[in-house]
Amino acid sequence: MTNLESHAYRRIVLVWIALMALLLLTFGSAYLKLGAWNNAINLGIAAVKALLVAVFFMHLRSASTMLRIVAVIALLMLALLFGLSHTDYATRTMQRVPWQTPPKSQNAEGGG
Amino acid sequence: MSEAMHAAQFDSAAQQEEAATLGIWVFLATELMFFGPLFFGYYYGRSHFPDGFAAASRHTEVMLGTINTAVLLTSSMLMAIAGEARKANATRLATRMLLLVAALGIAFLVIKGIEYRHEWQERLFPGAGFFFPEHQHAAAARMFYFLYFGMTGLHALHLTIGIVMVLVFALGLSRGARRFANAERIEVAALYWHFVDAVWIFLYPILYLVGRSSG
Repeated sequence: MTNLESHAYRRIVLVWIALMALLLLTFGSAYLKLGAWNNAINLGIAAVKALLVAVFFMHLRSASTMLRIVAVIALLMLALLFGLSHTDYATRTMQRVPWQTPPKSQNAEGGG
Repeated sequence: MSEAMHAAQFDSAAQQEEAATLGIWVFLATELMFFGPLFFGYYYGRSHFPDGFAAASRHTEVMLGTINTAVLLTSSMLMAIAGEARKANATRLATRMLLLVAALGIAFLVIKGIEYRHEWQERLFPGAGFFFPEHQHAAAARMFYFLYFGMTGLHALHLTIGIVMVLVFALGLSRGARRFANAERIEVAALYWHFVDAVWIFLYPILYLVGRSSG
C-alpha cells in the first residue's frame, strides 16, 4: 500500500466517522422538544451528510467544472420545480370534496 | 497495460473516463427528477397535515430505520474504498470491499423487509385493510404510508439494481476479469451507489424522525 493510497483510505474513514456522528446527532436531537427547530435540524443534518457524500465519496472536490455544473444544475432544477409547485399549492385553500356532506348548512353561516 | 486502453472515439483514457463520469452524473440528475416528485408529495402532505404526518411518522420503526441508515452509510464508505483500491490496482482489496458492499446492501433489504412485515401486521399498509389508531389523523396517515411505501419501495428497487451491479463487478474481479471490472466502471457503479445512499439520507429524517419529540 503506497502512502498516497493509505492517505485516501484514511480520509474516507474520517468522512464515515463524521457521517455516523451526524446520524447519532440527528437521531438524538429528534427526541428533544425543540418545536419547529426539530425539522430544521433534521433537514440541515441530512443536507450536510449528503454534501459529505457528494464532495468526498462522489469526488466532487476534485471533479472537473463540467461535472460540478451538472450536479448543481440537477439541484437547481429540483429547487425550481419545488418552488413553482409550492406557489401553486400555497395560494389555494383546501376545498372539501364536493360530494361530502357539509358539516353545517351553508345558510347558517352567512345568515342569508 | 491493456486496461489503460481507450475506445477509438476518445483521444485518451482520461477523456474516456471524463465522458463516463459525465454520463453517470447526467443519469443521476434524471434520477433526482424521478425521486423529486415523491419528495414534493411528502412536502405537500407534511405542510398541509402537519399533525397527521407527525402522528403517522411515530408509527414507523425508528430503531430499524436508524440501523439501516448506519448500514447504508457504512456500505458507501466501503464502496469508496473499493473505488480507490481498484484505481491503485489493489484488486484483492477491491473485490473484498465490493462483496462487503453487496452484503450490507442485502442486510439493508432484509431489515427493510422486517419493517414492512411489522407495518403489514399493524395494518399500516395503505390498502383496503388500512387502520390507524388515532382516527382523526387516519386520512393523513394513509397518505403518509402511501408515500412511505412508495419512496422506500422505489429506493429498495434502486438498491437492488446496485447490489446486482456491485456483485457482477466483484465476481468479475475475483475471476481476474480486470478489463471488464476496470477502475472506470467501478467508479461509475460507486457514483450510483452513493446517490442511492444520499436519497436515503433524506428519507431517514422525513419518514422516521418527524414528530418523535411530540405526542
